Amino acid sequence: MCELFAMSAGHHFTAHEYLPPFADRARANISGWGIGFFRNGTVLIEKSCEGIFTEDMLHDSFRRLSRVIDSRIILAHIRCPKSGHQKESHAQPLTDHFLDHNWLFISKVESPKILTYQSPRPLMAEELLAARVFEFVRDEMESGLTSRPRQSLYQVLALGCKKLIASYPGRYIFFLANETVLFAFLNHSQILTYQDPKAMGEALVVTTTGELTADPDNWSAFAQQDPARGQILIISGADLLYLGHL
Amino acid sequence: MCDLFALSASRSHTAAASLPLFAVRGRANVHGWGIGFFRNSTPVVEKSGEKVFTDGRLHGSFERLARVVDSPIIVAHIRYKSSGQVDECHAHPFALDFWGQSWIFAHNGKAPAIEPYLSRHQPVLEARSDSARTMEFLRDFFLEAEPRRPHAPFIQILKEALVRLLQEYPGEYNFLLTNGRVLWAFTNHRQFLLLKGSRKLEEALLLTTIDEGLSPEDWKRITAGPGSGGKILVIAGGDLLHLEDLILSGG
Repeated sequence: MCELFAMSAGHHFTAHEYLPPFADRARANISGWGIGFFRNGTVLIEKSCEGIFTEDMLHDSFRRLSRVIDSRIILAHIRCPKSGHQKESHAQPLTDHFLDHNWLFISKVESPKILTYQSPRPLMAEELLAARVFEFVRDEMESGLTSRPRQSLYQVLALGCKKLIASYPGRYIFFLANETVLFAFLNHSQILTYQDPKAMGEALVVTTTGELTADPDNWSAFAQQDPARGQILIISGADLLYLGHL
Repeated sequence: MCDLFALSASRSHTAAASLPLFAVRGRANVHGWGIGFFRNSTPVVEKSGEKVFTDGRLHGSFERLARVVDSPIIVAHIRYKSSGQVDECHAHPFALDFWGQSWIFAHNGKAPAIEPYLSRHQPVLEARSDSARTMEFLRDFFLEAEPRRPHAPFIQILKEALVRLLQEYPGEYNFLLTNGRVLWAFTNHRQFLLLKGSRKLEEALLLTTIDEGLSPEDWKRITAGPGSGGKILVIAGGDLLHLEDLILSGG
């Protein structure tokens, strides 16, 4: 399965301590990788269709980018072979501009039926699960706020996620972020969050892999058993602001 | 009754258009004013015990600050005292550290029950008012909840703090609390008016307690309805992220 990583910080921060162990945990995935972040409200994405590891060597670009990229929010994705063609355009994060923000999106999805979703504004013509999920969530958020502008972003996202798992049953985990806030949704498995006890208030790490540090007690698991329901975490800065159960 | 104002945007913004309007419309509040914002995660508060509006003119410093202060989140307060003296120290916002970061707090309400509250932690605020004690109460609650931090969402701790506050120190509370990235608002009386994407003022999210809003646009009125212990708003980057009613036990 693909693996997801996000780091949210109160100010610009590098994820150099966390991205290499994340890559190591996901080294079985050989179909590409990507890192997305924000600079002055603009999205920047570096991605590749090459394996994250070659023999025992972490991809040189990934290793260097891990050290260099600093941003309040960083998303990374390592792609599994089951996700279709090994093309750079299929690597994640994906991005789009809507609701007055540039957004980054990464996902791990098992829901073949979602490929039948036809958005009025497709991100790409190619068959890609992540693109169809992103389009669906974006379209639902946009139409939700258009029809009921007094709703909060959480409300429209929660309604969209409910509709997603009702209309296209499957297993979904995705991270959706703008330059200020990170939403994490899951309807199966678990995601883990971490705050470095030596630097509380600095950054919060979120991942679908196991723990990335040697202090497992400082990791918190958010697990979801029933795929007909789900959870949404709202994160900004180094804080988990809200945990909503659908 | 005091009045509150906040601007929230994804990037630094001035409130040069809306802050003067806020001061003019809130000029009946004659016991001081204050503007708070963050610079590199450090709170910056400029405040005064003087009237914000005198002889048909805005206070000169308020007017200049409104033009100059540039931050993703700006909080302002115009005071009509219900508690404490009239001086700079009693003007809002206040600033304290907890939850691993610095916070700015401004309050509009009346809660004499909390005036005798004695904080268990240092520092304490110099002001002798219900607002200063309210911020200390919240700070103390969050400090004591610190061990739960990695797993417990901020809103959960805030709701527990508010339930305890309202049970032990009943009163009218209406406040803004920000760490410079996220703006939390709570009201159990009066209302907040919210506007996003103004065509006449700043293209940010604007929030105020002024009854008619700050412009002839479609301000959204947010009040705690019957049966609600209060409304909690979570705002960041120019968006209303979440809106929730506080449920009091037995409510």
